[in-house]
Amino acid sequence: MRKGKDLGFNSDIAEKWVLVIDDLEGMRSQLRMSLSSAGFAKLHVVSSIKDALERMTSNRYDVILCDYALGDGTDGQQFLEYLRTNDLITRNTIFVMITAEQGYKKVVAASECAPDDYVLKPFTAAEFNTRLEKLLERQEYFSVIDKATDTKNWGRVIVECDKKLEYKDKYFVDLCKIKCSALMRVNRAQDAANLYTEILQMRPIGWAKLGLARALLQLNKTDEAKKLAQEIMAESPQFMAAYDFLGKILASSGDKHAALDVLQKAREVSPGTMSRVRELSNLAVSAGKPEMAEEVMSQALQKHKYSPVRQANDYAVLSKALVNQGKTTEALTVVTDAQKTFKDDHSVIVLSAIESVTHKAAGNSEKAATALAKAMSFGDLNKLPASTVISLADACFASGKEADATNLLRHAIQNNQDDAAIRSRVHDVLIFAGKDPDEANEIIETSTREVIQLNNDGVRKAEAGQLEEAIELLCKAADRLPNNSQIVGNAALVIALDLVRNGNNPDKLRRCMYYREGFIKKAPNHPKIAQIDAQLKQLK
Amino acid sequence: MNNLYAIVIHDVANQLAELSLRLGDLGNCQNEMGILMNTTRRLSGMLLLHRLESNQLSVNSDMVSASDFVAILAAEHRELFPDLVIEINDEKVPSLAFFDDALVRMVMANAMYNACRAAVAKVKVSAYERDKMLVLEVADDGPGFPERLLRDGIVAPSLANEHRIALGLYLAKNIAELHSLEGRHGSVELSNEGGAVFRMALP
Repeated sequence: MRKGKDLGFNSDIAEKWVLVIDDLEGMRSQLRMSLSSAGFAKLHVVSSIKDALERMTSNRYDVILCDYALGDGTDGQQFLEYLRTNDLITRNTIFVMITAEQGYKKVVAASECAPDDYVLKPFTAAEFNTRLEKLLERQEYFSVIDKATDTKNWGRVIVECDKKLEYKDKYFVDLCKIKCSALMRVNRAQDAANLYTEILQMRPIGWAKLGLARALLQLNKTDEAKKLAQEIMAESPQFMAAYDFLGKILASSGDKHAALDVLQKAREVSPGTMSRVRELSNLAVSAGKPEMAEEVMSQALQKHKYSPVRQANDYAVLSKALVNQGKTTEALTVVTDAQKTFKDDHSVIVLSAIESVTHKAAGNSEKAATALAKAMSFGDLNKLPASTVISLADACFASGKEADATNLLRHAIQNNQDDAAIRSRVHDVLIFAGKDPDEANEIIETSTREVIQLNNDGVRKAEAGQLEEAIELLCKAADRLPNNSQIVGNAALVIALDLVRNGNNPDKLRRCMYYREGFIKKAPNHPKIAQIDAQLKQLK
Repeated sequence: MNNLYAIVIHDVANQLAELSLRLGDLGNCQNEMGILMNTTRRLSGMLLLHRLESNQLSVNSDMVSASDFVAILAAEHRELFPDLVIEINDEKVPSLAFFDDALVRMVMANAMYNACRAAVAKVKVSAYERDKMLVLEVADDGPGFPERLLRDGIVAPSLANEHRIALGLYLAKNIAELHSLEGRHGSVELSNEGGAVFRMALP
């Protein structure tokens, strides 16, 4: 890559920010030289994921070149998955994996997270530059769609894809793939299924089959979805996403042991990413196999010891698995170690909760109470993910605080009304706390009935013309359960109705818009949005 | 044992990668770079052969832009063989192609390298559709394939074999055949048409 070999395509290449991550000193300096002579002027070169993340907090990169084998336990593929699941890079960022691994393509095929391209070592400067040139061309082509994806404007994504699909150019299949995901996001599963089927008629590609399975599941065709996932597993045993998908279906239908079998099988093929490890260990704990959870999670945490892909929750699960086997001393060591690393507010809550459970199991009620008090000083319950709320309930039960525990679980259920996974976790906690299955179901059902009743009361009052009462009831409920889209949507609708009937009121309008926003976020394609908007239109 | 081979080859590839970039900076080292790239391919070819023989070689087809594919192939070899004219013919390239990019990359780079070494002045790389198959073709203006190779076809490499171990062609043939769709399989065709012509047809 000597001087004078500038990339042909993009004249503003000097404006592109590039981040290179490679743990080998020689490669770093060579890549730096090569890239500068290719015309890139804004370059950062780092040796580890940690340094990369630090750079990324203060800088937005257009191109990330990452070595696959990074030497600190977490490889480039896991790093990419981490970036994508945490939305740390925009969709338009070019991510290129550099690898000496001949089998790397297999790694990609096994993952749902593909880089934009990969370069096999050794490579010549010309190959490298030409690849980058093609990628920059692609970046430009997809920029509008990617921007819409980043802002989760799925309707726009679909429209922009349609505009380009008619040309049937070399990005046709990529466009179909993006459009399908957007269709799924707005609950147009039937349209997504049709498009996936169209792709499959061209070629039986694994990701399209799995996409179809996902669409079928959303259409409540669970058995067909299951069958398709099993088919993929038989045809391409390396396609890990199919195992994860099937495991999830089985787990949420209550067949935990079958789900565990599937995930164990997946683990035999590939140890996999942290998300599978999490799924597997949680499932193992809840299926009464804490020793399996311990093995899987402790191995993964050992492997990723110095890596940012770990979470406080991972240590909490491991401690729980140990507590359930009576290994309280070990469990406490795990918690204490984790507390040294994870000091943010949420982690403190998660770890204090499990610390309390561990102390209690070790017979130390006083310490358990102190830890529980710390965990319970969380402030706003609605800022916590449901899984944390459930863990708090677990800790309350352990310390005999039945009422607090039940309230927390009630909140988790009511705030996530249709989430089968949450219901199943709540059920686990209740059983673990010594309730019999009927009692557990009764608590879950009562909580659900309550929220349905609440919603119906609000709607009935609105229908009877008692708008003020309806607003008060539904808004209070919406503030308590901001994740319950039915309630939040109805709160927005009754205020809109009131505005039309009783004339504009800036304060009410502001509240209406606030609930409408929240509703759209939860249910972007719900017909009720149009109903709310139709009312608001009359105002104008 | 297989894993150990893979780790050693991985290390070698890392060092060769650095060496290749250094050679690029030195300038005028195209021959050395070509040898380096080819050596790596033979090493990884050995791994592939092992996987093939133990029935572990599987094909993961996905969408590939065939025009980009040949453009990158040509660019790489233009750098390695600056005295040759390397032409691209992608006028009839289908806009959508499906194959295992990693495996076909290796096969075509090998074919391309051999063609460039044999060529007098020109190599042409083409991608087009024929009988519902994608054809990737490399043609040179050199002396052509040995008659015996054309007569006997591509056979498994072995020590008892008289001519030199044609690992690359053997892998090419097998990788092509592993690509299948609705009962149709890929194939490799060799011919002499005013120079050697290597064709890989993929369903």
